Amino acid sequence: MKNCYLGIDVGSVSTNVVLMDENKEILGKVYTKTQGKPIDAVKRGLQEIQTQITEEIKVKGVGTTGSGRHLASMIVGADVIKNEITAHGIAALNFVDGVRTIFEIGGQDSKIILLKNGIISDFAMNTVCAAGTGSFLDRQAARLDIPIHEFGQKALSSKNPVRIAGRCAVFAESDMIHKQQLGHNQEDIIKGLCDALVRNFLNNLGKGKDLVGPVVFQGGVAANVGIKKSFEEALGCEVLVPPHHEVMGAIGCCLLAQEHAAKNKSTVFKGFDIVHSGYQVKGFECEDCSNVCEVIEIMKDGQLTARWGDKCGKWSNNIEKDKEKLA
Amino acid sequence: MAIKIGIPRGLWFYDYYPLWKTFYEELGAEVILSNPTNKKLLDQGVKNTVDEACLPVKIFNGHVMDLKDRVDYIFVPKMMSVYKKEYICPKFCGLPEMVKHSVSGLPPLIDTEINFNKSRRHIMNTVYQFGSYVTKNPLKIRNAYKKALTAYHDYKNQISQGRLPIDGKLSHDHNQIKSNPANKRIALLGHTYHLYDSFGSMNIIEKLKEYGVEILVPEMINMKVINERAATLEKKMFWSYGRKVLGTALYLQDQQQIDGAIYVSAFGCGIDSIVGDLFERWTRKNADIPFLLITIDEHTGEAGVNTRLEAFIDMIDWRKRDEGNLSAHG
Repeated sequence: MKNCYLGIDVGSVSTNVVLMDENKEILGKVYTKTQGKPIDAVKRGLQEIQTQITEEIKVKGVGTTGSGRHLASMIVGADVIKNEITAHGIAALNFVDGVRTIFEIGGQDSKIILLKNGIISDFAMNTVCAAGTGSFLDRQAARLDIPIHEFGQKALSSKNPVRIAGRCAVFAESDMIHKQQLGHNQEDIIKGLCDALVRNFLNNLGKGKDLVGPVVFQGGVAANVGIKKSFEEALGCEVLVPPHHEVMGAIGCCLLAQEHAAKNKSTVFKGFDIVHSGYQVKGFECEDCSNVCEVIEIMKDGQLTARWGDKCGKWSNNIEKDKEKLA
Repeated sequence: MAIKIGIPRGLWFYDYYPLWKTFYEELGAEVILSNPTNKKLLDQGVKNTVDEACLPVKIFNGHVMDLKDRVDYIFVPKMMSVYKKEYICPKFCGLPEMVKHSVSGLPPLIDTEINFNKSRRHIMNTVYQFGSYVTKNPLKIRNAYKKALTAYHDYKNQISQGRLPIDGKLSHDHNQIKSNPANKRIALLGHTYHLYDSFGSMNIIEKLKEYGVEILVPEMINMKVINERAATLEKKMFWSYGRKVLGTALYLQDQQQIDGAIYVSAFGCGIDSIVGDLFERWTRKNADIPFLLITIDEHTGEAGVNTRLEAFIDMIDWRKRDEGNLSAHG
């Protein structure tokens, strides 16, 4: 029986599940689209990871991250619930020695993390702009009818990149359309887009920061070799993409769960069987005061298991009482 | 029956309301406050404000809507300048006009102009104008103003001791930066109408307290100290708020006693775009103090703010542990 750690990263676009053993070897990884249904995605992820494993395992710890980390934790039972920045930082530190700068571009947010002496010393996340994130690239690829995995490759064959406005996703798209109607090559436009997104990223997030190597590029968008090349051109240094770049958040969770277990704490993991449970989510607007909170109720097999979203705590704190009533 | 004067719980409210409230109550008026910001009020404000306005102005209009059917006057002074040779955000200078043109069915506004840009010599004339809505008796107005000033100074004094006026109510506990360097100490910057509006700021002060953080706001630093630092700037800062923030930045730089600075800014704030940036440069670059910018707007989903705060606190913990040469992350 092998001791393992489970990491789950529920992001806006993808949900990633990783199983890691005690020697920090990745036994299995799943990258699946969230498609607006995080609960289904977590269940699907757990199901798929089971099919990848041939040996007997014992899960000693579970960590969750991503914007859906609390929801995921409620479903699977997590020992560690961590924000994406810490999770990504820890993962990069463990896989790339002495990393100083991390670029992470996910589905809906992008971040930059700076490290010094092996600890996070500074970070920034995109504020109000989604230009340059995975969702935008997905959309452009779909518009140009190019499979997303070929998108970056196309950029590499460009000989004469055009200039695309990168400050705003709306401007970028209209600029791309104008250039396309003028007759520019598709690969030149794509390369122009990659350059624009990198320019926007470095201006927006990297502003005023010393970006020193080694530089690691992770997140789903790191699969895009065009963006990687544009980063290298802009920075004048090599940009490393770790082998499991798309699931680094989940790997960070595994490492955090391992650390948690090392303190001799037992896990609250509910087991892989939860994939067979039916979860329903109900939402309602509480009208008891003018805050009109949007309250979410999670039902597991018809039983109320969690409730949140209220400001006053009337609903979220009352769950134990309601459970008794139901029983 | 006493005249009912409504004071919207927005914008300058958090800086001055004991002054205004005591003044009018001493004159015999009944002062009615709008309800603390909530979702309904925000929705009303957004619906009734020009699209380009910033969140706090939209919230302010929501408060005006909340009051308009239950008072005789709404207090919306035209704040141009509160210090010599200094100005306030242009949105405040035109606030009464903006309110009048955005909200229909309004009672009369108390929109006396406050302008001390040239000098504060004629301050009593302004006070008489404010009082004339209730009484024409100058002696009464003068006395009421005296009492109001006492209430105002007491309020400022309480805040400087760390009792923060969340939603206008002074907190019971005294926030303080204690001398123990093992504690997490964070400076919290931003307009008062962001920081102390628990709905608009997504309760950032309470959230930080839950993390066991000691909070320092500029209002807790001696104004004299801030002014001294601000006077060393290359050029006079012409915004009152800018002077306060930049003076604070210089103070924090010298003091070296905080572990991080969080700046709360509303999306599209013109003043923050300059002042916030300068603040960041001086704290992050010059003093190596971690800096976090939180941009707020109409969203009520708190995941984004929570993630940033959690990561920021994690980072500070991590840095502190590293200084003590203990094991890494956690």
